[in-house]
Amino acid sequence: MKLKILIADDHEVVRRGLCALLQSHEGWEICGDAKDGREAVEMAKQLKPDVVILDVGMPNLNGLAATRQLLQQNPQQKVIVLTITDSDQVIREALDAGARGFVLKSDAARDLVSAVEALQRNRMFFTPRVNDMVLAGFLDKGYNGSRNEAPKLPTLTPREREVIQLLAEGKSSKEVASLLNLSTKTAETHRSNIMRKLDIHSIRDLVVYAVKNDIIQVQVSSNATTPFEGSVA
Amino acid sequence: MTVRILVVDDHPVVRQGLRTLLGSHPGWEIVDEAEDGIEAVEKADRLQPDVVLLDVSMPRMDGLEACRRIRQTVPKSEILFVTQHDSPQMMREALGAGARGYVVKSNAARDLLAALDAVSQHKFFGGQDRGDHSDTK
Repeated sequence: MKLKILIADDHEVVRRGLCALLQSHEGWEICGDAKDGREAVEMAKQLKPDVVILDVGMPNLNGLAATRQLLQQNPQQKVIVLTITDSDQVIREALDAGARGFVLKSDAARDLVSAVEALQRNRMFFTPRVNDMVLAGFLDKGYNGSRNEAPKLPTLTPREREVIQLLAEGKSSKEVASLLNLSTKTAETHRSNIMRKLDIHSIRDLVVYAVKNDIIQVQVSSNATTPFEGSVA
Repeated sequence: MTVRILVVDDHPVVRQGLRTLLGSHPGWEIVDEAEDGIEAVEKADRLQPDVVLLDVSMPRMDGLEACRRIRQTVPKSEILFVTQHDSPQMMREALGAGARGYVVKSNAARDLLAALDAVSQHKFFGGQDRGDHSDTK
């Protein structure tokens, strides 16, 4: 039986590249491709893939939040996170969320096949930097690059993480409510709770928080005149 | 006549995706790939492609500088930027550097074929949602 792989990236060019890369491997099939995390979670329910490959920076529901939902849905789900950066924050979030593979996008052509093969054998696949972090955690000796920083999202519930991403992407409470099948009042309550928990008092501060904590990724033009010019990557 | 294309992007997966998108089109041939601006300038000079698909953000030499150099050394090669910078300011810079077209990566699947078609005929392309591609030659 073929290994079923679901991929999710907001750029069709990248999805096509990933499909081409993985489809040529004997015994694997791409059972679906999604353009954001929310679609990936929905498709996984229907398609029951063996492995899900998720880009981190996607609109509506980012890859890390989608990983949490996939693991909630199916605790055995094997997830590989694909990212443009292996910052401490993204690594920690990916590991916390339950990803078993972590591949840099720039190295995907070299590493992604090995990563899927590893997960197929019930092993994990990480970049050397992630391996160092995991080992440091195991030895409990601390990790110089990360131990000074407290976890960035300690108090937010999974639902609040979804809401903060949508608000930071510029959606109104009404739009958030519609996307998450909530009442507008509930969406507004989530918004108030988030701002209270994080001690922030404006949408601008919320956007800054979301960017700093890799909830959204922003492409900044080399000579942009405003801090957030560009689009969510 | 076959349109000869050089694909330039630092991510191999993106280059592969572009190959897949363009591969089925009769009359287009991808002559080579490059992973940064320096390699792009060198390959454009050697291969004299009709169109160079160029990313903006790349190591060693970015796409804007590569565009300027290619326009100087190989004026017959048209430049089509394929970038994640969805910014009018970046588009102006790209056109100022001598590019003939500009496609945002998130729209590439929709816009790329039309853009290549326009640019290979020396027409300007700035995106279907802007409705502003027109003959400028």
